[in-house]
Amino acid sequence: MRFRRFASLATAAALGAGSLVLGAAASSAATKTITFAYDFPGPDFELTPVVVAQDLGYFKAAGLKVNVSFPPDTSSTTKLLATGSADIGFLTTTDMGVAVNAGAPMLSVANYSMRNNWALFAKPGTKLTPGNLTAALRGKRIFSYGDTWTESMLPFVLRFAKLTNQQVKIVTAPTGNDLTDLLAGKVDISTSTTNYEIPGFQDSGTKGREVQLLGTKVGAPDIPVWVYAVTRSYAASHGATVKAFLSAVKKATVWAAANPVKAAADFSRAYPKSGYTNAYNLEGWKLTIPFLTNAHHQYFTQTNAQWSTLAHALKSINLISKVPAPSTYYTNKFLP
Amino acid sequence: MSVSDTNLASAPRRANRSSESVARKVARNVGVPVLSIVLLLVVWQAIVVGFHVAPYIAPRPYQAVLAVTQNWSTLWPLVLGTIRETVYGFVAGAALGISLGVIMAKVPVLQRLVYPVLVLSQAVPIIALAAPLVLILGFSVTPKVVIVAWIVFFPVTVNVLDGLSHVDQDLVNLARVYGAPRWRTFVQIEVPATATPLFSGLKIGATYAVTGAIIGELAASDGSSLALYQEHANTNLNTAAVYGTTMLMTVIGISWFLLVVGAEVFATPWQRRTVARRSWRRVADQSEGDSAR
Repeated sequence: MRFRRFASLATAAALGAGSLVLGAAASSAATKTITFAYDFPGPDFELTPVVVAQDLGYFKAAGLKVNVSFPPDTSSTTKLLATGSADIGFLTTTDMGVAVNAGAPMLSVANYSMRNNWALFAKPGTKLTPGNLTAALRGKRIFSYGDTWTESMLPFVLRFAKLTNQQVKIVTAPTGNDLTDLLAGKVDISTSTTNYEIPGFQDSGTKGREVQLLGTKVGAPDIPVWVYAVTRSYAASHGATVKAFLSAVKKATVWAAANPVKAAADFSRAYPKSGYTNAYNLEGWKLTIPFLTNAHHQYFTQTNAQWSTLAHALKSINLISKVPAPSTYYTNKFLP
Repeated sequence: MSVSDTNLASAPRRANRSSESVARKVARNVGVPVLSIVLLLVVWQAIVVGFHVAPYIAPRPYQAVLAVTQNWSTLWPLVLGTIRETVYGFVAGAALGISLGVIMAKVPVLQRLVYPVLVLSQAVPIIALAAPLVLILGFSVTPKVVIVAWIVFFPVTVNVLDGLSHVDQDLVNLARVYGAPRWRTFVQIEVPATATPLFSGLKIGATYAVTGAIIGELAASDGSSLALYQEHANTNLNTAAVYGTTMLMTVIGISWFLLVVGAEVFATPWQRRTVARRSWRRVADQSEGDSAR
């Protein structure tokens, strides 16, 4: 999914070319080195828990040395895992859905976020509500990165608005920038998650508040957006490593949620050339925090309902051919 | 043995060689490339099967071909779109490149002024240029055409400039001695002398033109395009379609290159024949006779 902005392509390319070793913990016989594959070609604030886990020594305490690897594009994390180039990955749930449908033996081991914060955005002063959605979208240019998540969510919104693809103009720009296009008036509506779009809008220095309408208010399913995933064979052979990783990352996530300023600063220090300002990282991380826990204040826990909802949603828009059992997608047995 | 005897003696051998060379030429020009493609497919198949590569990592060749043939009705309009962007951009780039090359060759001050800018233009990563172009020109075919033209014009300009600066000055002087006006010297001496480097530039441009069109399509498209079709296939782990569309893009690129090669063959007959075709000689003789009368 490509909701990130401002990171220069050069940064992404430089980081994507190889993996980055987080920290220089001295390896001992007990230390296990693993590769964590992110879902985007460059680092951004959603990587904060992993950075914090490294910085505060949680990985080391768990006997892990974690290399962070950045895929060449947003579709390659699954392939990195499947080919053994990475051990643990960060994916969207829709990526998991299409991967399993394609026969990739992927297994989600923990939720990263718990709810759907994908939204439609319009320029300040625009009226964009569930009540006027049809009028607000008819004949308008809607930005999409062409990623699986947007491809999956847009049909629900259009269905809610009783519009077809032909009645709107979907502008697909995999290498573009939704916010720039929106502010330049090249598109009428942009699509992104709130934690990426809002800080980007604030960083742009534009006056007023960007108008947002959460997808879940206009037909999109309320399901987690991101998960930690491994291959089934890795889960079977390295269960203890997966558990140790999740344990360290959970501690780090809890700490980072309680200390957002320090956590964002940690991230900015770890990736000073990410292309993002510390203010952007902080705001983005703050907006991510509310989505990290479920109604019972639990981190990571997955449910049958979320995967069932996802599978039915993807099937209803023909993105997958059949609806498998929820257990095909996930397990909670490695949760700390 | 006199010269004429030598020619007579070698005549049958030459005829024989000529009939042989047709078969050899076909084998060399068609057979060898086809064989190399077949070999490539065999190696591809062997790797995928031998290393048990999963279909979502890399498909078998026939799966990639099937992904194209089974979706041909969807793909064909997209292919046409990419061809259109490629052709428009190539023509625009070639026209701009030729014009700039000629102007710069004729006005040295302008050459010194513009040349560094041209080099600078090519140092800019085209992918970084794509997004700003979309912001300025919108999501239509225009930014794609501009990107293709941007890629194509430089090798054309440089080669035309190079060709014009290496024209045989003795020939130019001779023409002037005979009182040929500047335009005639340009058309009859300088242009033919520039043809070979010009086509070299056009061939380089043709090879990269499709890449430019694809980069443009990836930057933004309202509606669908071949690059976006591939992008969607990639995000959905449909690797057969990804490889299939890559094959299609390659075919477009090669076809365009071959078309330029064909145009070169047609436009520069002297590269393959030391004497003019008999029909042309007849026309030339006739016009000489007319002018003598």
